[in-house]
Amino acid sequence: MGEFFRRLRYLLNRRRFDEELESDMEFHREMAAREGRMNFGNTLRLREDAREAWGWTWIDRLGQDLHYAARILTRSPGFTVTAVLVLAIGIGINVTAFSLFNMLILKPLPVRDPDTIVRLQRRSPEMSSSEMPYPSVVFYREHAKTLSAVMATMGAPPMGLESDTQPVRNIFVTSNYFAELGVPAAFGRLLDPVREEAPDAPPVVVLSYGFWQRRFGSDSSIIGKTIHLNKKPATVIGVTSYSFAGLDGQNSDIWLPLMQQPYFVENSNTLTNTTTGGETRMWGRLAHGVTAKMAEQELLSLTNELRKQYPKLIWDKEFIKSDPGGHSLVMQPEMYPVFTMVGTLTLLILAVACANLGGLMLARGVTREHEIGIRVAIGASKKRIFRQLFTESLLLALLGLIAGLAMCYATLRAGMALMEAPAWMSAAPDWRVLVFTIGVTLVATLFFGLIPALQITRQRQRKMIARQVLVGAQITASCVLLIAAGLLVRAVQHILHSDPGFGYEQSLAINPGLDHHGYTPAAARTYLDELKSRLRAIPGVTSVSLSRLPVLGHGWVSRISTEIDGHPINIYPNWVDPAFFQTMDIPLIRGRNLLPGEANAVIVSESLARKQWPAQDPIGKLLWNNQTSKDTVVGVAGNARLNAMNDTDAAEAYWAAQPADMAGMTVIVKTAGAPEGLIPMLKSTTENLDPKLFPDIWLLKSGFRQNTWDLERIMMTASLMGIVAMLLAVVGIVGLIAYAVSQRTKELAIRIALGARRIQVLSTVLRQFLLPVVFGLMAGIGIAAGLSKTLRKALYGISNLDPLSYAGAIAMLVAIIGLAALLPLRRALHLNLAKTLHYE
Amino acid sequence: MPPGSLALLILRVLHSSPLHGYAIAQRIHVLSKEVLAVEEGSLYPALQKMLLKGWVTAEWGISETNRKVRFYRLTPAGHKQLESELSDYDRVTQAIQTVLRTA
Repeated sequence: MGEFFRRLRYLLNRRRFDEELESDMEFHREMAAREGRMNFGNTLRLREDAREAWGWTWIDRLGQDLHYAARILTRSPGFTVTAVLVLAIGIGINVTAFSLFNMLILKPLPVRDPDTIVRLQRRSPEMSSSEMPYPSVVFYREHAKTLSAVMATMGAPPMGLESDTQPVRNIFVTSNYFAELGVPAAFGRLLDPVREEAPDAPPVVVLSYGFWQRRFGSDSSIIGKTIHLNKKPATVIGVTSYSFAGLDGQNSDIWLPLMQQPYFVENSNTLTNTTTGGETRMWGRLAHGVTAKMAEQELLSLTNELRKQYPKLIWDKEFIKSDPGGHSLVMQPEMYPVFTMVGTLTLLILAVACANLGGLMLARGVTREHEIGIRVAIGASKKRIFRQLFTESLLLALLGLIAGLAMCYATLRAGMALMEAPAWMSAAPDWRVLVFTIGVTLVATLFFGLIPALQITRQRQRKMIARQVLVGAQITASCVLLIAAGLLVRAVQHILHSDPGFGYEQSLAINPGLDHHGYTPAAARTYLDELKSRLRAIPGVTSVSLSRLPVLGHGWVSRISTEIDGHPINIYPNWVDPAFFQTMDIPLIRGRNLLPGEANAVIVSESLARKQWPAQDPIGKLLWNNQTSKDTVVGVAGNARLNAMNDTDAAEAYWAAQPADMAGMTVIVKTAGAPEGLIPMLKSTTENLDPKLFPDIWLLKSGFRQNTWDLERIMMTASLMGIVAMLLAVVGIVGLIAYAVSQRTKELAIRIALGARRIQVLSTVLRQFLLPVVFGLMAGIGIAAGLSKTLRKALYGISNLDPLSYAGAIAMLVAIIGLAALLPLRRALHLNLAKTLHYE
Repeated sequence: MPPGSLALLILRVLHSSPLHGYAIAQRIHVLSKEVLAVEEGSLYPALQKMLLKGWVTAEWGISETNRKVRFYRLTPAGHKQLESELSDYDRVTQAIQTVLRTA
C-alpha cells in the first residue's frame, strides 16, 4: 500500500482517525497531569496541527468556504441570479462557438481510423482544384505505396426516382468507400469492393437511412427490390446506418457505385475523360506508419510520372496537397479570417461579461466591509479572506458554467434541427468542449474574481481606479460589439433593399445537363435550338435565352480576381446569347448587344466600365490592358449582382457563347405571369426532346430567396450579438453606478442635509465616470475601425467606416449609459436623510 | 533538537517494543537524562507523518493505568528507515566531528 493510498484512507476515514488522535492526546494529558505537569495548549489547535500531516486540511477549508459562499449567495438572490445570468451568456456564447468549430473541424468522423484519412487535392502555385479526372485517381491508386487505399467520390445532378416530382440527391462513390470507412449497414449490405468493382456487375443502389424513412416509410422489404433512377432499373442492396457520416460532410439520399456511373448517366464519358479537369474527389488512407508528408512526396513523383501520360492535363509545378480528411469539414485557408472574427467577437462578449461582474463584485465588497472587518478582527488572515472571496467567485463561475453549457446545448439542438444536420452529429458536449468550457470559466473567474478579491482583501475596494478601468473596458468592448453588429445589419439591409439589377420574379431556369450525357457541341446546338423554339411556343413564355452559368442555381460560379489601380475587383464572367439581357431584365446602357456567337466582343457592367475607364467612353476599348487581349468592349450593361450578392468588388463581363460551350448551357425562360405552374410543362418539353435527359429546373426567385435567407441569418446573428452586448452593458453600468452611489451615501446625505441641491450633489458622483466612458468609447471606435477591415468582404456597399453604424452604436451606448445611470440615481434622490445619518 | 532528529528518536525508542504516545515522550525524556522534552505539539504531527509513510502502525492496547490507548509499533519499512537514518546520522556526526577536530 503506497503512501498515496494511506493518505486516501485518512481522507475517507477522517472522522475515525480524528477520534483516535483525540483519544491519544487526551491520554497524553491525563498522564502528564498525573505527573504534575500541566499543559495549557489549545487541544483543538494541537489536534489540527497533527492532522495537517495527513495533507487534507485544504479539503476541510474548501468545504467550509464553499458552505459559507453558498450561504452568502443564497442570502442575496438578486445578485446571484444576475451574476449567473451574465456569466452564462458570456460562457455560453463562447462554448457554442467552440462547439460548432469542434463539430466541424476538430471532431473526428465516426469512421474507422479517421486520423489516417487524407483529402487529396490538386495544387500548383497558380492553380488549385478540389476535383480531378477519374483516370488520374486510378493512376494514383495503382501506384501509390504510401496509401493503403484510395477512395473517390463524385457528385451528380439530382436524379428522378420512379415518377416522383422531387428529384433525389445522389453521389457516386468507389466501391471500397463504405468498407474503407468501416461502417455497417442498417439493413442489407453496402457496396462491396470486389463485387461492385466488376465492369459487368448488376446495377445497385444504397439508400441513406433518412431517405429510406421518408420515401419508403422505413419498409425493410425494399431490400432486393428494383427501383428506377432516371428510368434505369437498379436493385436496392441496403440502407446506411442511422448515424452514418460521409466524408467532407457528404450527405446524400442515395449512394451509387462510381463504376456504374456510365449506366445511370447515359453516354457520359467522365470515367475515361482526361481532357477536362474532371469531377471526382480523391481521398486516401495513409498506410501504416506513413505520414502525410511522406505521402505528398510520393504523390509528387507520381504526378510527374502522370504528366508524361497526359501532358496537357497536368499543370506546371503541380503537386497533390494532403489535408486531414477524417473531419466533417476540411479546413481551408480562406476560413481562417472567419474563425478569427467569430472568435474575437465572442471573446469580446466574455470580456464584457467579466468586466460587468467584476464591477458588481467590487460593489458588493463595499457592502460587505462590515462583515469582512469583523472576520479580520477575530483573527482571519488575509490569505484566508482572499481564499474565501475567490471561492465565492468559483462557486458563481461553476453555476455560470452549468447554465452556459445548458444554453449551448439548447442553442445547438435548435440550430441543428433548423439546418437539418446529419444524424451522427450530436449537440452533447464531448471532452474537448468540456475542457474548453472549464478553461474559459477559469479564465473568466480570474478576470472577474481575482482583482475584486485582492482589492477587497486589502480593503481597497473604495479605490476609484479599478472601478474606472472596469467601466472603461466594458464600454470599449460593448462599443466594438455594437459597431460590428451595426455594420453587419446595415450591410445586409443594403443588400436586401437595393435593386439587384435584374429580374427574377418571373423567370425559370432549365439545366438539361447535356454535357453529362456526352453531347457534342454540334448535337447540343441542335437540341438547344429545337428546345428554344418549343419553349417559345408555350403560352405565357415571353422570352428564352441561354447562359453558361447556372444563374441562381446549383453549380459553379466563375470569378476573375484582379486589381485596377491597386483596388481589388472581382469580375464575374458569363457567356450568353443576345436574348440574355432582355430575358434577365438587365438594361443595356450604352453601345450595342452581342451578336450570336460573336468572338472578341465583350459587354461590361457599368461598375467595371467606371473602374477601368473613369470618365472615358469604354466603347471600342480593349478589355485588358495587355498584348494578348483582343476583346473589344461593344456595350455597357447595368450592374447585375447575379452571382455575388454580397461581394463589394463585384463587376460583370459578358461574352457571346461560343459553339464549343453549347453542351454546358442553361436555358432561362421568362414568363408573363406566375412561373410556378409552368414547371411540369417545361419538364416534359425538355424530356420529350431526349428521354435520356433529366433536367434540373428551378425558379430564379427561390434561388434568390436562398441567397437572401443566408444574409438574413447573418443579420439575425449580428443583431442578437448586439442585443446581448447592450444587455450586458446595462447590467454592468447599473451595478457600478448603484455601487458608486451606495458607497457615498453618507457623504451625499450630509451634503444634502447641509443644503446642497440633490441634482448637483449627484452629478459629482457621476463625474468620475465621465472620463472612463469617453476613453472607452474612443478605444472602442479605434478597435472597431481596425477590426472591421476583416469584415470588409461581408459588407456589401457599406464602408467599414460607415458613419451611420458608428454614430448609431455610440448614440445607443450613450443612451443606455444614461438610462442605466438614472435607475440608481432615482433611489439616491429619494434618500431618507434621517435614517441614513442615524445609521451606525 | 535539530529538525528531523525527532523522527529518528521515535523510531529508535520504538525499536525495542511498541509504545503509546505518552510513553514515547517519556522514554525520550528519561533516556536523554531529562535533557530532551517532546511536547504534544511536535510528537503527534510527527507520529501522524510516520503513520502516513508506513514506518509505524497503531493498534489498540491497554495502558498501565488500565485505559484503552493506541500503541505504536515499527513496521518492516520502519526498521529499514531506522537503519538508514542511523547510518546517515553516524556518517554526518563523524564528518562533523572530523571537521571540529582538525579545523
